[in-house]
Amino acid sequence: MVTLKDANYSEIEHQCQLELEKLKLEEESLISELNGMLNQRTYIEDKIKGLSRLMPTLKVMKHEAQELVTTINDISDSSEKISSKIRQLDLARGNVDECLLRVNDLIDLEICSQGVQQAILDLDYEKGAAHVHRFLSMDQSLLKRTANDMNNVTNMLKSVRTLQDAASQLRAIVEHKFNEAITNEDLVSVERFFKIFPLLGMHQEGIRDFCSFLRTKIGLTADKNLKSAISTPLADKRHSIIYADTLILLFEGLARVIDTHQPLIETYYGPGRLLSAVSILQKECDKQVKRIVLEWGKARQIQKKIQQVSETSRMTSSGSFSKIEKTDPKDLDIVIGEITLMHFRCEIYNKFLQRKVLADIEVGISETEQKTKSIKTLEQLILNSDLSQCKHDLLSHYLRLEQYFMEESVAKAVNMDSLEPGQQTSSMVDDTFFIVRKCIRRSISTGSLDGICVIINNACRVLENDYCDILKARLKQGYPSGYLDLTQAYNVLHNSIQQGRLQPGDTEQSRTAFIVALNNADISTEYVTALVDNIMKEIEGACPNMNTKEQGKLESCLSGISAVSAKLSEIIEYGIQQLKSTAIKPRVNPWVDTFMNFSHQLSEDELSAYEAGESFVQTLIMNLETLLSSFKHILSTNNYELFIQVLTLEVTQRFEKVVMKSQFNRLGGLVLDKEVRSLAGYIVSGTYWSARDQFARLTQIATILNFDYIEEINDYYGNADGAINWRLAPSEIKTVLNLRTDFKSEEIKRLRL
Amino acid sequence: MDDYKFLFKVVLVGNAGVGKTCLVRRFTQGLFPPGQGATIGVDFMIKTVDVGNEKVKLQIWDTAGQERFRSITQSYYRSAHALILVYDISCQPTFDCLPDWLREIEEYASSKVLRVLVGNKIDRDDREIPIQVGEEFAERHNMYFLETSAKESDNVERLFMQIAEDLMKQARMTNVPRYDPNSYNVDSSSQESSCCSRLT
Ligand SMILES: Nc1nc2c(ncn2[C@@H]2O[C@H](COP(=O)(O)OP(=O)(O)OP(=O)(O)O)[C@@H](O)[C@H]2O)c(=O)[nH]1
Ligand SMILES: [Mg+2]
Repeated sequence: MVTLKDANYSEIEHQCQLELEKLKLEEESLISELNGMLNQRTYIEDKIKGLSRLMPTLKVMKHEAQELVTTINDISDSSEKISSKIRQLDLARGNVDECLLRVNDLIDLEICSQGVQQAILDLDYEKGAAHVHRFLSMDQSLLKRTANDMNNVTNMLKSVRTLQDAASQLRAIVEHKFNEAITNEDLVSVERFFKIFPLLGMHQEGIRDFCSFLRTKIGLTADKNLKSAISTPLADKRHSIIYADTLILLFEGLARVIDTHQPLIETYYGPGRLLSAVSILQKECDKQVKRIVLEWGKARQIQKKIQQVSETSRMTSSGSFSKIEKTDPKDLDIVIGEITLMHFRCEIYNKFLQRKVLADIEVGISETEQKTKSIKTLEQLILNSDLSQCKHDLLSHYLRLEQYFMEESVAKAVNMDSLEPGQQTSSMVDDTFFIVRKCIRRSISTGSLDGICVIINNACRVLENDYCDILKARLKQGYPSGYLDLTQAYNVLHNSIQQGRLQPGDTEQSRTAFIVALNNADISTEYVTALVDNIMKEIEGACPNMNTKEQGKLESCLSGISAVSAKLSEIIEYGIQQLKSTAIKPRVNPWVDTFMNFSHQLSEDELSAYEAGESFVQTLIMNLETLLSSFKHILSTNNYELFIQVLTLEVTQRFEKVVMKSQFNRLGGLVLDKEVRSLAGYIVSGTYWSARDQFARLTQIATILNFDYIEEINDYYGNADGAINWRLAPSEIKTVLNLRTDFKSEEIKRLRL
Repeated sequence: MDDYKFLFKVVLVGNAGVGKTCLVRRFTQGLFPPGQGATIGVDFMIKTVDVGNEKVKLQIWDTAGQERFRSITQSYYRSAHALILVYDISCQPTFDCLPDWLREIEEYASSKVLRVLVGNKIDRDDREIPIQVGEEFAERHNMYFLETSAKESDNVERLFMQIAEDLMKQARMTNVPRYDPNSYNVDSSSQESSCCSRLT
């Protein structure tokens, strides 16, 4: 009891002690706070004193601010007044200005009316026209008002009438003199009066008359050029492109006329007037182009050529390369070249016109609506010109002939196909792609994207149909099996192989033909890719500013060529499958099947004897070596790779089959494992691609058959450290284990995989 | 990256002025262009549409009807998946030329191409070709048939959408790789039967 009480007291005491400590701490902090406040007191008192000193100043400030507001209001009022005064002043000054203008006009009117008559009498038309120009520059309505405001009206009206009379007199004179100068071919006077027209407000007439004059001159030159073109002797170096030359002369002449006279027009007539000048010149351009193209068509017998070409293509449209007499594509080569040149020149001239006139419109016409209208007029002028029509016709002719040229030349290349000794591919590949590239290049030189696209489309058709079909047809004739000595066949047959005309029994020739076709298909794939890359670059160089739509058009057409690659791959696949069934299977299967002739249940002695002799796998490898080496140098690299792939697949599958039909003991398994390894090693060493994967199943089968005891499978299976990626299903593993005669089937059955 | 699964080429042909360009512009841009000039060569437009849950990209080639561009336009027939042959219901000569157009199609287009006959400008009240005449012609030549107005936007959407759906159906049916090109005679015959059904 006592101890309990004691304990209670000591506890209470301890608590009191704690409380006391807490209170002490609180006291200390309160004291320090109080001290802090005391310390601030003086500072705060200072502040208060300072503030009370400021009070009177603030009052003064408020008062002053109010005064300022009043002042500002006053100022604003007065400035309002001032500005209205200024407005009045402006008005007054405007009136004064107008008055001055009127006075000036009046004075000038007087001067001009006096001067103009004298100038006309003096034949000083520049001076006279300058007077009229001054008169015309006066605001005519203002003049009328002046007349109403004046007392002495008669004088002024007289001056006006004088000037109006003088103006029409001068106009008549200038027009007359101008025509006279033209008749006399007096170029100096022509230019002189050309400059006077705009002074008299005769801009349109001036441009019309002047450009008609230029037009006549251009026409005369063009006539002369065309005549000399027509009479160019056949022996002349430029005979074959003389009409292109004539067209070029015309365009260069026109461009020169425009280039030299544009500054003149701009200086005396102001910018923005080139369109009307060009419209007049275009008439002559149209007329001459039409004549040149007409004469060209006659001289080159274009209609006849086009007709022949379309007749042949109609007749052959069903069967691609039949034997009808037709125009030799070579005979068209030159005229096709001439057309591209002519078309290109038309294209360039149109672009030149567009650029020139657009620039002039840009500078000369500021009002948007008027500008759009002018641009539209220009577009229509170019679009509807006979030049453009001729250009379209030329392109149409070009396309007809070029398509024929490509088709027929490729047909020829195919028909004249030949094999150089030691080559893996025959001449038709290089020849065909040379022709296709040449035609596409030529289309690029027309400068017309539509033209390029058509020729690309045509190239797709020729390659995909005509060309690929020939390759396919050759492969379809098959690869004859029988005794294999292709190297020999190759040597025998190095000259022209004419496909489809092989004698029956020409086994070696058929084989060579087959292999060459397969190689041709492979190399063509590379050529197609290179072709697309090259022409893409060339087109980008020739048409640098294609818009997205044009680019889309081109890409769509080019993708057609890429599609040819797909077709070629199909053909190669077809050929390889053919080889598989005639050259690989019939040989490989018997070789592998000899496996069954050997016992795989060996004693130690039998093992030594087996290893000392010619083993199964050595023979197999030797045979495969012979087979592969007979194809190695005649197949293209890619095709040879494909060939090994197919061969490997065939060998491994067949091998698996015969293993599954055999029975093994421990040593037999050991031998198999060794044999599979050396076979895999042999094939892998000869290829670039990984053949090991194709051996996976066979290797695993051999591993199983090489086990010391059944449970060894657990080292390779499931979560074991040595676990491998099995290509055999659990049931297959068990089947393989069962091939071992020394493994008990109940134990195998008990395995849990 | 475009996220479309199918790309089809649709080519419009027919006499000058029957409204090919207007049909295409109505479909691709939703407008009826005023003061439409004749097409030069061939024009190219793209529109991606949804068919079911799939994006289908239609590459539309609008060819010029004028004779002088024939050598350009013919070269687009071969790769076309669908050909739209257009005439003007208010202009007999454009209908009379249809056999010529069909001959061209026979000569240049793939035998598998989907062919659609379109009588355009039905908003006009000076019709010269009764609808039955067009219908009958289409039936005789195994073509789809539809009358449209590019101006009033009648049947335009439907025309192109139906083509997209049909081509997609076809593409799905023939997803077996064409190993031997000679084998396509087989599926072209099966496809012809579907051509007899009509859009209207
Ligand atoms: N009333 C009416 N007019 C139309 C219709 N579609 C087109 N047009 C008019 O027909 C004319 C020719 O139309 P385009 O679309 O340029 O004809 P096109 O077939 O493209 O002609 P080309 O390009 O020369 O082959 C234009 O004046 C159009 O306004 C239509 O549905 N109704
Ligand atoms: Mg059009």
